[in-house]
Amino acid sequence: MEKIPDQIGYLILTEDGAVLESGGELENDERIATIIIDLISLSNTVDPLAFGPNENFKKISITYDDHWYVICMSNKKIYVIKRLIQNNTDEGNAIAV
Amino acid sequence: MEKDLDKVVDEIMATPQINGCIVADHQGLCLAAKGTAHVDSAGIIVALSEQACKIQPNLKPPTICLETDKKLCLVQRHGTITGAIFKLKP
Repeated sequence: MEKIPDQIGYLILTEDGAVLESGGELENDERIATIIIDLISLSNTVDPLAFGPNENFKKISITYDDHWYVICMSNKKIYVIKRLIQNNTDEGNAIAV
Repeated sequence: MEKDLDKVVDEIMATPQINGCIVADHQGLCLAAKGTAHVDSAGIIVALSEQACKIQPNLKPPTICLETDKKLCLVQRHGTITGAIFKLKP
């Protein structure tokens, strides 16, 4: 996780929100861990019509002006990474999709 | 009264790859919904944006992007209004 370019913090969580590993600005940040777990459980209930019942989200990103959080789930673990946005555009909360 | 909002929603829906759009107020009540976006999602979308705002409450509300294999859901809050766009991946 530390090798990811532009990362300024990371968290690896279990499905119930316990912190397995952490580093950088997110070191032992249980407050953010709880928020992320709530966010994931909420995201599972978003629009069953637009997203079919078998279409689970594979990535969630939360974008601020100069940094973004990426949340992914793999092998029953939740990976959260905080990354800097390098090319500052004037578009505000622009998303690189 | 909703004319302006409807116009904005229609404009969004006219954009290629977009198949749904929903706008809700701070209480989670739906103000407008078009395409695949269901009126019932309004509350969840507002809850989602409120939850994301808690991460860094001192900064302005972030844009949330939920991603599946083929689709995207973008959620952004502006003041008391929250908007979500359902989009196909390019």
